[in-house]
Amino acid sequence: MGCREQFQSFDPDTQMLLKTALKDPSSVDLEKVSNIIVDQSLKDQVFSKEAGRICYTIVQAEAKQSDGNVFRRNLLNRLQREFKDREDMRARSIHEWVCYVTFICNIFDYLKVNNMPMVALVHPVYDCMMRLAQPDALKNEEEVDCLVLQLHRIGEQLEKANSQRMDQLFFLLRDGFLLQEGLTSMTRLLLLEILEFRAGGWMLSSTANKYYYSEISD
Amino acid sequence: MSTRTPDRRTDATSSRREHTRSGPSRWSHCRKRGVDGSMRTDEHERTDEHERTEGRHSSFTTPESSGPVSRCAASSDWGSQVEDNEMRRDLHRDLQRYRRRILAADGPHRERKASSGSSGSCDSKEEESLETDEGVLLRRQKQISYGKNTLAYDRYIREVPKHLRQPGIHPKTPNKFRKYSRRSWDQQIKLWRVKLHAWDPPTDNGTQEDNEEQLDLGDIMDIELDFPTLAEPGPQAAHAGVMEDPEGTGTPVKVQRMDAAAASDVV
Repeated sequence: MGCREQFQSFDPDTQMLLKTALKDPSSVDLEKVSNIIVDQSLKDQVFSKEAGRICYTIVQAEAKQSDGNVFRRNLLNRLQREFKDREDMRARSIHEWVCYVTFICNIFDYLKVNNMPMVALVHPVYDCMMRLAQPDALKNEEEVDCLVLQLHRIGEQLEKANSQRMDQLFFLLRDGFLLQEGLTSMTRLLLLEILEFRAGGWMLSSTANKYYYSEISD
Repeated sequence: MSTRTPDRRTDATSSRREHTRSGPSRWSHCRKRGVDGSMRTDEHERTDEHERTEGRHSSFTTPESSGPVSRCAASSDWGSQVEDNEMRRDLHRDLQRYRRRILAADGPHRERKASSGSSGSCDSKEEESLETDEGVLLRRQKQISYGKNTLAYDRYIREVPKHLRQPGIHPKTPNKFRKYSRRSWDQQIKLWRVKLHAWDPPTDNGTQEDNEEQLDLGDIMDIELDFPTLAEPGPQAAHAGVMEDPEGTGTPVKVQRMDAAAASDVV
């Protein structure tokens, strides 16, 4: 099913539970399943990068099997609770915060409603992006890395959902790039690349591509 | 470019703060008021509920947007927002489909009407009596969903395929797109649900008649439900015919008391 390899990080019982959730959702405690997935996503960035896919599969399976929304609702409300406490989370652990942002963006990417992104998540995702664009966050390569990665993945969709906020985000990014002292050259590289990426309509010209990506591989 | 000053930075941060202020109101349906009814301002940290428990403004009964959707605190949670959004999209899609169906059905009659001098706009008198108010449609759809989310309905549609349905005998889902008065609509829903009970799964206690009597109260509660909260019912796994009133605040006391007895008997 494509999700199997992601389950490696779990103990066998949990693996069993998750596999059952994919096939027969109404037979398991979906609230528990959603919490397991969120908990793991907050710890393991590799997992959080693609956890959206598992969630999508469960949501579809539940809708098909019983026309239910229990999993999705629990997942979203748990995400919302974490979102409310994100400042504390960030203060506690940058890593967890970065995992959270990665996860919520992944959910935004995968969990569509009628092939449209969930409107309820648009502002929260932007809020997270804006937070990552703050001066104190730009100092951490971990956060900058997360910011640009997510913009590469969902920037275009976000902009379509709300272009005004994207403009505001990029004001911040330009400012950071130009004015902020103490940024590492890697950070400045990442920022410059994302500025060009968006300016190019969410893709890089071939020359820019050459500049950024063949240099790195040298 | 070389004249760029530090002020620009402050502008950026202040625009961010300004944005934070309007932020929450956007993803809660542009309400001016927070969850507890107080107006959203700079000072309010939009963090936890515990900060917002000190009473509501007496003016907090008017939702900003139409219909029951924004009224309840529950709809500020992402789960409900997404569900409502989904329902709204489905409604719009259904409405378009319905419109096309009507226009197609009216097609052959158009010429006749034109020749009798009537204007093009009334080639569909169905179109005129089309219910398009989103709040109304949402409420009706929820009522229909409650009814369809029952074991009785499940059994019914499996037992009687559409082409074998006989009008009058077999329950038919009320048409949410037609204009009806509130009372008329609620009555139709009630009758529909009562008819559906004929397909209730057999229970251990009581006869079919008993069930109908008890479930009648459930139907009354349906009607009393002016504020469809989505806290528990609906999308969850089907409860056979039980219509739980999540808040109970709108239900007359005597129905509430009997409700406690009825609810325990219904499967």
